[in-house]
Amino acid sequence: MAETGAAAAVRPAPRGATPSRRMLRLAVSRADFRIGLAGFLLLVAIALLLPLVSPINPTKIAYQVKLLPPFPAEGWQWPHVLGTDQLGRDVFMRCLVGLRYSLLIGITTVLLMFVVGSALGLYAGFRGGWADAVIMRLTDAQLSIPMIILAITILGVSRPTVPAIILVLGLSGWPLYARVVRAVALGERTRGYVLGERVLGASDWRIMLLFVAPAILPPIAFVAVLDVARMMIYEAILGFLGLGVQPPTPTFGNVIADARKYLLNAWWIATMPGLFLLVTLTCLNLMGSALERARNAVLQGEA
Amino acid sequence: MFVLSFLLRRLAQGVLIILLVIFIIFTLLRVVPGDPARLIVGGMAPDAVVAEKAQELGLDRPIPVQFAAYLRDLVTGDFGRSFVRPKSGASFGGSAFDDQTRQERASVLDLILDTLPMTLQLAGVAIAMALAVALPLGTLGGLHPGRWPDKLALVIGSVFVSTPNFWLGIILTLFLSVKLKLLPAIGYRGFSYTLLPAIVLAVELVPFILRTLTVSVAQVMREDFIRLAPVRGLSRARTVLVHALGNSAVPLVNLLGVQLGMLLGGVVIVEFIFDYPGLGLLTINAVLQRDFPLIQGIAVFIAVMFVLINILVDLIAMSIDPRLEY
Repeated sequence: MAETGAAAAVRPAPRGATPSRRMLRLAVSRADFRIGLAGFLLLVAIALLLPLVSPINPTKIAYQVKLLPPFPAEGWQWPHVLGTDQLGRDVFMRCLVGLRYSLLIGITTVLLMFVVGSALGLYAGFRGGWADAVIMRLTDAQLSIPMIILAITILGVSRPTVPAIILVLGLSGWPLYARVVRAVALGERTRGYVLGERVLGASDWRIMLLFVAPAILPPIAFVAVLDVARMMIYEAILGFLGLGVQPPTPTFGNVIADARKYLLNAWWIATMPGLFLLVTLTCLNLMGSALERARNAVLQGEA
Repeated sequence: MFVLSFLLRRLAQGVLIILLVIFIIFTLLRVVPGDPARLIVGGMAPDAVVAEKAQELGLDRPIPVQFAAYLRDLVTGDFGRSFVRPKSGASFGGSAFDDQTRQERASVLDLILDTLPMTLQLAGVAIAMALAVALPLGTLGGLHPGRWPDKLALVIGSVFVSTPNFWLGIILTLFLSVKLKLLPAIGYRGFSYTLLPAIVLAVELVPFILRTLTVSVAQVMREDFIRLAPVRGLSRARTVLVHALGNSAVPLVNLLGVQLGMLLGGVVIVEFIFDYPGLGLLTINAVLQRDFPLIQGIAVFIAVMFVLINILVDLIAMSIDPRLEY
């Protein structure tokens, strides 16, 4: 943080730049953010484009190429770089399809919990009083029920479709956003611009939606990158428990759960998807923590 | 006096939270499809037997009546009896409906209290392991922001937080247990069976401790009382170990309170993978068997722990930093 702090001191922040602008600029100046972003974009591009042009079908069974080891182990075969599974399906292609579902669920879930959590938090913090007390006790109650219990209770009996998974994960994640947004909104109530609008006769709703929300939400939204990674892990956990998107559609969770049986003689079927997910999430987390550090620096007035 | 009013207010709030949790779980279980009576007597049983079972379990009554009865029992400390587990242990869910070997059903509270020590042992070992790694690294990172300890902490934190726990469990089992035969993995027959699950859980905890600690140590080090410590003749080591770390402990203790739910979620998965006979495994089985009283009991128990631990955390934070007010 010292080097970025020093760099920022040398290059004075331009007047009029909003905190979220400064935060983004500070994050982009960090090497870990750039590495994470580059790696992530590369992986996403491959996951989105390669299945479209590749002749390999991730769900097609081909016994003649079953259990091929990954490159560079002896006996590997082009184009199965990460090997094949017990039914001859390409492990790499299955990872890519898994990543598509993982991203879809991770990003949509975070959007959902961000919107619901921020709306409730904003209302609670800005209005105060009874609404505040009720919403905050609800977040406490929600936080004291571990997500995984809720998820298996609901998904264990209803068909685990993509919308159901998103809904259940989103349900468990909203309280953290509600709390953070409430805390910031609380402090915002007495700021000059809010009082000014009030004097001009603006309604609470108008001030909340048009002025407070745009002022406080962007920094929180950037750090939500970290939660996308967390939700992608949860999606994999649900898949592993058999409560995610169902086979034959490959997801990280159901592929690894299935590959457990073949661990001793074909270690790569379970190992490779996990590594693939780990690399993707590390990229996301590097971006997220760089953004978080940038936010802390901006809040402390270092930049 | 201040502490007393704080305790009273927090306990009142806690009761409200627990009531909300019971309400949410209770309603959810009964609204979501999946009839426990049908599960217990088995798919082949005639409808009359299912209805009889439902009546025996009290499931034929309207939901509000069931809720009131449950609350009334709960106040007297009665968590109810498991739908499917006999006193001896093994569950008999799904067995033939006319099986005569069924015994008396186990008390929910007994089931929870029997498995709790195992989970506490696992969590304790995991937290100790996580602190052993994260405390030195996080402190160094906070002392030298932007330098290599800080970067190392960032990389380790980013990689660990990106590691799916179930996958790590499988991989460690393969390498440490099957290939190298260093540690036992599945089930529980002695303390060594705690180590592998604890490692997986610790990996999950380390990033959170690292992140909180680097930020708070870096922040404390900028405070006047630390900068002035050399003037008072305090050594660098004493300044860091006693004054800086002492003050950084507040966010760390707070973290434990907030992340308790996450820790429990991790425990459930890790116990499931390693077949470790703790509260987490009990929970996952209860949910899969739709054992309503057991699920409700565990939810209430966790909510009570959550409330108590958060009160305790605030009390500890207050005693570390008397300026704090709640």
